[in-house]
Amino acid sequence: MQAIRIQQTGGPEVMELAEVPTPRPKPNEALVRVSIAGVNSIDGRFRDGSWRTPLPFTPGQEGAGLVTAVGALAKTVKVGDRVAWSGALGSYAEYVAATADSLVPVPATLSDPQAAAAMLQGLTAHYLATDAHQLKAGETALVHAAAGGVGLLLVQMARMIGARVIGTASNPEKAGLALEAGADEVIVFTQQDFEAEVKRLTGGKGVDVVYDGVGKATFEKNLNVMRRRGMLVLYGMSSGPVPPVDPAKLSEKGSLYMARTTLAHFTATREELLARTSALFAMIAEGKLKLRIAKTYALGEAAQAHRDMEARKIAGKILLML
Amino acid sequence: MRAILVKQPGGPEAMELVELPVPQPKANEAVVKLTASGVNFIDVYVREGRYKALPPFVLGQEGAGVVNAVGADVASTKNGDRVAWCGVMGSYAEYAAVPADRLVPIPDGVTDPQAAAVMLQGMTAHYLSHDTYPLKRGETVLVHAAAGGVGLLLVQMAHNLGARIIATVSSDEKARLARAAGADEVILYTQSDFEAETKRLADGKGVNVVYDSVGKTTFDKGLNVLRPRGMMVLFGGSSGAVPPFDPIALSQKGSLYLTRPTLANYIATREELLAQSRAVFSMMAAGTLKLRIEHTYPLAEAQQAHRDLEGRKTTGKLLLIP
Repeated sequence: MQAIRIQQTGGPEVMELAEVPTPRPKPNEALVRVSIAGVNSIDGRFRDGSWRTPLPFTPGQEGAGLVTAVGALAKTVKVGDRVAWSGALGSYAEYVAATADSLVPVPATLSDPQAAAAMLQGLTAHYLATDAHQLKAGETALVHAAAGGVGLLLVQMARMIGARVIGTASNPEKAGLALEAGADEVIVFTQQDFEAEVKRLTGGKGVDVVYDGVGKATFEKNLNVMRRRGMLVLYGMSSGPVPPVDPAKLSEKGSLYMARTTLAHFTATREELLARTSALFAMIAEGKLKLRIAKTYALGEAAQAHRDMEARKIAGKILLML
Repeated sequence: MRAILVKQPGGPEAMELVELPVPQPKANEAVVKLTASGVNFIDVYVREGRYKALPPFVLGQEGAGVVNAVGADVASTKNGDRVAWCGVMGSYAEYAAVPADRLVPIPDGVTDPQAAAVMLQGMTAHYLSHDTYPLKRGETVLVHAAAGGVGLLLVQMAHNLGARIIATVSSDEKARLARAAGADEVILYTQSDFEAETKRLADGKGVNVVYDSVGKTTFDKGLNVLRPRGMMVLFGGSSGAVPPFDPIALSQKGSLYLTRPTLANYIATREELLAQSRAVFSMMAAGTLKLRIEHTYPLAEAQQAHRDLEGRKTTGKLLLIP
C-alpha cells in the first residue's frame, strides 16, 4: 500500500510517499481502508520529533474510511462499517490498523471528509463546552484563537448553548470568521490589549470561563479577566508552555479554578466516545455546526499540506484524500 | 469597655487587656455588645504581624452578640437583634463596630457561643462541600486534617451529602474524632503513606475531590490520588505554601482541576453571606452538624487561649467570653 513514511524526524520534507506492507490487525484491532485523513498540528509535532515515536513511522492520527478486516477479539465494528477515528497513529496511508474501540460509526447523513474533519477538533470543542466547563446559557466565555480549528467550532457550540462569546484573533480577516461563527465580540489582539477589552466588554465583571489553547502568551492576563470563582481551561499551548504557576495567584485573583485538559480523558470509555461523537455528528448533520474544510491535498502532497498548515495561511481544516 | 489590644506585633504577650471607649457606629455600621468571640489561627498570624494590620489594633475577626446601636443608614438590623459575623477586626472586646451588611441574624435554636464558633469554619466547610465542589451522593473525597476545626465540620457535611470520606489525621485520638464525625476510612499519615492508602481504599480509581488545607507536604501526592477530571481544592497551607508547579502535571495526571479558594470570595455579597450562614445555622439547629467547643476563656485570658491554640493541643473551637 502507499503511505507517508518518516525515516528521520525534521521539517515537512522528511515525509515521503512510499510503498509499505499493508498492516495486519491485532486481535483487538480493525483494519480500515482510509478514504480521507485529517491533518493536525500534532502531526507536525510527531514529524519534528517533539513528540516521540519509534522510527520509521507513518504520521497522522485522524481519518475516516471503511473497515476491511477485524481481529479475533474486535467486537465493536465489522467489515463494511463506515468509521472515523482520532488518535490512531499511521493514518496518512491507504490502510491503518486501529483499536476497534477507537472507531466510531459514521452515520449516512455525513460524508467521510466531514467525519474526518470533525473528529479531533470537533470532539475537543465538544468536551470543552459541555464537560471541561459545563457552559450555561447567559454565561460569558472568552475563546482565544477563535478562528482556529477548535476555536471556530467552540464558538458555534457556545452560541448554541446560549452563552455570550468574546473571541480573540490575530487579524481582522480571522476576526471576521469568528464573528461569522457566532462570536458576539472579537478582539484583534495584535491591535488591542485583550485584558483591557474583555474588562470593558464585561463591564469590569470578567468572564465566567476562559478557553485557552494558546498557553504562555495569554496566561497571566487570563487571570485578570475572569469573574470571581471563574474557570480557566487550558487545552493547548500554541505559544509555548505556561511557566510554573503559584497556586496562591488563583486565590488572590478571586478563588479561580484552572484545569489543564486533554481529549483522551474526555473520551476514555467507549460509551463516552460514542456519546460525544453522536452528539457532534448530529449537530453537523442538522446543519447547526458548520465545518470549515479549507483545502484537500493528495496523499503525496502531505509535505505541502504541512508547510501550508505551519505557515498559518489556511484558516480551516486541511485533509489528505486517499 | 475592655478590649484586647496589640500595640506591637509579637508573641501572645503582645496582647494587652486595656480600657477603651465604646466604639460609635459609622453611618453603615452597627455596634454589637459581644457575648462570645471566636479564636482562630488567623488571629495568631495578625498578632505576629504575618498578616498586616496597622497597630494599635483590637484583635479578633469572629463574634456574636446583641446589636446595641446602629448608624444612620443601617436598615438591615436593629437594636436588640442577635447577630454574628466574621472577617471584621475587633471582636476581642466587649463591643465592636461592624458594617451592618456583614452581620447575620442568629436563629432560635442556635446559641451565641455556637454562632461565634461556627461562622468562619462552618461557612468554610459549607462553601467547600456545597459550592467549590458540590459533592454528590456516592462520590469519594479525601479530607486532609480531618480532625481540625474545618475538617470535622467538612467531614460531617460530606457525610450528610452521601459522599464516602477518606480522612487523614496525625494521631489515634484524632482518628477517633474523624470517625465519630462520619469519616468512612481514616489514614494515620504518620504511620502509613496516604497516597498508597488512598489508592488502595479507592480501588485504584482515585477520589473525585481532595480537600487540602495542609499544602506543601500533601499537594503533589494529592494530585496522584485524584481520578481523571478530579478536583484539587487547596484551601490553606498549614505546612507551608505550595511552591509554583507546572500546569502540565494537571494534564498528565488526568485532566485535573485545581482551585485555591478563600471564604471572602464565597460571601462577597450580602445574599451569599446570608445564604451560607443560614445553611450552616439550620444544620446546627437541626442537630445534623455538631460543633466541638473545647474551651471558653474569659477575655482577660486571651494570651492563654493563643498559647493553647498554637501548642496544637486543642482539637475543638476556642472562644473568648467578654
